[in-house]
Amino acid sequence: MSAQLLSYTPLLLKAALVTIWLSWLALLIGAVGGTLVALARMSTFLPLRLLALLFTEFFRSIPILIVLFFVFFGVPLIFGLDLSPFAATTIALALHATSTMSEVIRAGLESVGKGQWEAARAAGMTYWQMMRHVIVPQALRVILPPSVGVYIATLKESSLASIIGYVELTKTGLLIRETMGSSFVPLLLLALIYFLINYGISLGGAALERRFHVNTRLMTAGAGQ
Amino acid sequence: MTDTVLQFDNVVKRFGDRTILDGVSTSVQSGEIVCFIGPSGTGKSTLLRCVNGLETIEGGAIRFEGTPVQAKQRSIIDVRRRIGMIFQHFNLYPHLTALENVMLAPVIVHGENRKTVEERARGLFEKVRLSHRINAYPAQMSGGEQQRVAIARALATNPHILLFDEPTSALDPETVGEVLAVMRDLAVEGRTMLVVTHEIRFAADVGTRMVFLDGGKIVEEGNPREMLAAPRSERARRFLSTISNAAH
Ligand SMILES: Nc1ncnc2c1ncn2[C@@H]1O[C@H](COP(=O)(O)OP(=O)(O)OP(=O)(O)O)[C@@H](O)[C@H]1O
Ligand SMILES: [Mg+2]
Repeated sequence: MSAQLLSYTPLLLKAALVTIWLSWLALLIGAVGGTLVALARMSTFLPLRLLALLFTEFFRSIPILIVLFFVFFGVPLIFGLDLSPFAATTIALALHATSTMSEVIRAGLESVGKGQWEAARAAGMTYWQMMRHVIVPQALRVILPPSVGVYIATLKESSLASIIGYVELTKTGLLIRETMGSSFVPLLLLALIYFLINYGISLGGAALERRFHVNTRLMTAGAGQ
Repeated sequence: MTDTVLQFDNVVKRFGDRTILDGVSTSVQSGEIVCFIGPSGTGKSTLLRCVNGLETIEGGAIRFEGTPVQAKQRSIIDVRRRIGMIFQHFNLYPHLTALENVMLAPVIVHGENRKTVEERARGLFEKVRLSHRINAYPAQMSGGEQQRVAIARALATNPHILLFDEPTSALDPETVGEVLAVMRDLAVEGRTMLVVTHEIRFAADVGTRMVFLDGGKIVEEGNPREMLAAPRSERARRFLSTISNAAH
């Protein structure tokens, strides 16, 4: 039996890569979308602010599986546009990641004191110069740690794609299980692979944070000249 | 003949239904050092912040070198590029070293060459007597040092006027002197300065004009020494006697 399992290794590895890629893509879209939504939330234009609030609350409150069904079954019905399971899953996960990331990014931007925005504006910076050189570098320290958490959450949620028949890691594991007469072993193996991936991301995130932390220590304490 | 750098015409500022500035009219000529004094909450900071459009005004007009200051228009960027501001709490960029703080605006806002800017920045650090702290981060410096870096940062873009909002009131007493000394140097150079301060001695020694603000209005203005010796209004007299008592 273990020999049989071993023969599935390339398949599982490929599936793991698909899952990593899928959730990474969703996270990237979520980071860009989340930035836009966060800026809209902080806008002085009330309708924009309300729209962003509605978006965030909406996708935060609805199970991702429902969103996935809406995207996968609803979009073809409404727009007559067939989505591949991959596209549907990416969109559903990205919508959810956008709503989460918008809150993370907003908290980061708001953690930068009012005096920083004023100093940058008083120096004659445009909005984007201020963001790029003053606000974002400081906000990143606050944004980075929870972003790692969002990536891990997104990666776990991507297993929902198995329900609409997309062959990512979970689906691959379940298919292997069928060929092995409903054995318990493939499930264990699945859990182990998810654990290893996410633990790796955690470690990577921690390393990134440490790098930022060196700067942070300089910024907040007297490390001497 | 002097040039008018700044002109306030009947400026009105409201926060909600509270009128903070209630018809302020005055002007600042090139080379003048105008010191604003007055009780807390009277609108001194607000007036300063209206000059570079950090606040909008609800009535009247402010002109900087002939251009109307309009906080919500794109033209405000151009106004800000010719004004240097020094804040009570310094507001240095904590993620940048002292040198990077000073170089940022000239390089990214004014598009100047890094080398030229760095040379000028080093000169400015000499001027504020901080050449040895060029690579320190703000968090590694005392308040007095940070405020002197902030002054160097403001000077780096060759502004036509400097706005100071209580530059020494967040400092430990022992570092107030080093910041005032730098400001005196600037006065000697003939810089145009608008200073909100409670340092009456500084205002008397260095100021070319003193403006007493109370309840959102200019109550009295004139030569600082004359005004200190013999304030014309009852309110100025009362205010000056309270703060000179507090200073002793
Ligand atoms: N953003 C704001 N929103 C509402 N009210 C404000 C705002 N900023 C200032 N104020 C109010 O405007 C009034 C004037 O404030 P300002 O800071 O200009 O006074 P000030 O003369 O500088 O006082 P101080 O000597 O204490 O610095 C105060 O009553 C203050 O509470
Ligand atoms: Mg004030």
